[in-house]
Amino acid sequence: MSELLLEPVVAPSDATTRRRSFLGGRAGAAALTVASLVALVVGIAGSPLPLGVRLAIAAAGAIGAVRGARILASDIAGHPVDVGFWLAAGWLLLLLLSAVFADLLPLGEASDVSKTLLEPTLVRPDLLSSHPLGTDRQGLDILAGVIYGARVSLLVGLGAVAIGAFVGGAIGLLAGFYRRGLDRGVAILSDSMMAFPPLVFLMAMVAVLQPSARNVTIALGIISIPSYIRLVRANTMTLAKREFVLASRALAADDRRILLREILPNVVLPVVSYSFVIVAVLIVSEATLSFLGLSIQRPNPTWGNLIAAGQSDFDQYPHLVFGPGAVLFITVFALNRVGDRMRLWWEPKSR
Amino acid sequence: MTALAPVAGELAPADRRKRTGRAHRFLRGLLRTGVHLLAVMFFVSIGTFMLLEFVPGDPAVAVLGPDATPQQYDEVRAELGLDRPLPQRYADWLGDAVQGDFGSSLRPPVRDVSGIIMSRLPVTLEIAGLAIAMALAMAIPLALWSASQSGGPGDQAVSATAYGLISIPNFLAALILIFFFVFRPDLVRTFVFAAGLLIAVGMLARRVPRVRREHPEDRLRSMGAGVAGAVAVAGIAGLLFLSWPDFPRQGFVRWTDAPNKLDNLRSVFLPAFTLALIEAAIFFRVLRNDLVTTLQEDFVLAARARGMPRRHILLREALRPSSFSLVTVAGVSLGRLIGAAVIVEAVFRLPGLGSMMVDAVAANDFRVVQGGVLAISILYVLLNLTVDSLYKLLDPRIRRV
Repeated sequence: MSELLLEPVVAPSDATTRRRSFLGGRAGAAALTVASLVALVVGIAGSPLPLGVRLAIAAAGAIGAVRGARILASDIAGHPVDVGFWLAAGWLLLLLLSAVFADLLPLGEASDVSKTLLEPTLVRPDLLSSHPLGTDRQGLDILAGVIYGARVSLLVGLGAVAIGAFVGGAIGLLAGFYRRGLDRGVAILSDSMMAFPPLVFLMAMVAVLQPSARNVTIALGIISIPSYIRLVRANTMTLAKREFVLASRALAADDRRILLREILPNVVLPVVSYSFVIVAVLIVSEATLSFLGLSIQRPNPTWGNLIAAGQSDFDQYPHLVFGPGAVLFITVFALNRVGDRMRLWWEPKSR
Repeated sequence: MTALAPVAGELAPADRRKRTGRAHRFLRGLLRTGVHLLAVMFFVSIGTFMLLEFVPGDPAVAVLGPDATPQQYDEVRAELGLDRPLPQRYADWLGDAVQGDFGSSLRPPVRDVSGIIMSRLPVTLEIAGLAIAMALAMAIPLALWSASQSGGPGDQAVSATAYGLISIPNFLAALILIFFFVFRPDLVRTFVFAAGLLIAVGMLARRVPRVRREHPEDRLRSMGAGVAGAVAVAGIAGLLFLSWPDFPRQGFVRWTDAPNKLDNLRSVFLPAFTLALIEAAIFFRVLRNDLVTTLQEDFVLAARARGMPRRHILLREALRPSSFSLVTVAGVSLGRLIGAAVIVEAVFRLPGLGSMMVDAVAANDFRVVQGGVLAISILYVLLNLTVDSLYKLLDPRIRRV
């Protein structure tokens, strides 16, 4: 999966040649960026225009803004800058901070219907008002729901990855190092787990356990174990044949020391870069489960159940679905983007 | 050939020995795969069966809720065999399951679980199969087009779109399609029409400089062919615009029940298209990257030096050696799509395996959940095995491994 996500590498000369050819230097790039940002805002917020026109303007604005910013940043830094990556990383940081400090932010009410009796219902998004992403049928604020939902998504995604990486990593390390019977047994077990399509497996677990954040985290952690076993086992097998392992064995190091001090530090980096992609997959899985009503239930907001709740009105009020949907999409996109970039940094071979 | 004949006669015994060795190795590989597969299926069945053991409290209460009569509770307990010890229960269940009997559903209306599965499997298979066909139909031409001008603006735009599509969750893609195709059909219709006209104009514009380079006698014929192609594309776009079908928000018309087969296609188009969009993005990336690598090979350069037209190089020389990864990915995707169909069926309310699972999970009908999980995973394992062995037959390089 992760191999398919490799971004086509932008030629290093791209930014510089483009600048010289038709944009007339820094001023042109700055103008392009500003104009594109204006177009983006008009596309998102310009409600009198027809939908198709707005979508086209917003898309052109987004593309132009990234292009302009890349030319500008490359020119200032003196070397090509991957603005898309920095935007993705910035988005993740913003999401993380707002999820952590959600209680301190001046947000509307996200879950308690009794507090929104006086609030206007079904308000359309207006980025400058007190309900930037609008409100739903009960007057609950969508932005607040999205931010509290981010808490659930990040908590579940990171928690599950921690479980998967720890358990799967330990099993993969042992199986890849000792091989033989242990390896074969582990292969059968992880193949058995992979024989269940992930979502079906999750649904079966949720059928039995109560759908709480803790149980969903554990279930998602379990389904991510086999992929970590595969990754770590493959890495361990190649590392175990390397000279530095032989050298430390010649220095009379025991297995424990070789595993923990020689092999483990080399396995951690690929695991971390792979984890971004896995977190993206798990966030999608959690959102899917809660969209199907099989995870955390209303009134506690999650991205999935916000989208499911907005489904009934979304013919007339598309923001109920596409507000949380856009945040989900951007987050998944950003995680994939950052994960791919990390892999390029840490695995120079795959360049 | 004739010069080699005596040598071939000398080599024959050694060759035969090698061939028996290969057959032997092939059989041993098959046996090992079989044993591995049996072990996997054994664990799958145990995992599926043990589901019920994790239900907290009395399963009968979990199924029926607190308000049922004692008689109803007893019926559910009898169906689940709760009076027997665990190993015996497993053996009974497995014995029945091997014969295709997954028990009967626990909630009224009581029905045969394997009957439910068999009535719903065709729906899921239809969507998944259609999705793969549509995905290939979109991905292959686009990948060829992209790879032929790799690094250019068209390639960058398509590649970036594919990268973005992969990040869209299935259920969100389904909702986006519903919004546009069901709620704003005129927008989509106009967009398709405009895109068709643009493509037609583009085809003409690209043909003009090429025609200018040709011999004066050929110019008229060549330009005529270009105009005919452009008119055909524009005509299809216009026809689509005029007879744009209504896509239903939900519901399903069975192929066998539909008096007009188009009703069935109309009801499965959006769900299949949802899956196809994301699948096409994956196929596109795989094929495009392989094509770009292949197009740098010497034999492509040689073909180009012989003055072969671009179309010939792409279709006849480069496509086949670049398609191995695509075959693998497309093959495995059928199994994956059967799992992914769960979401799409739930969104579009189609009577497939996926919506059966969602409903059964919501209603705590454990027998249906068990039967569904077992059926889907065995299907998944068997499909992947078939693809694996087919692939070994197709690509001689890995046959011997």
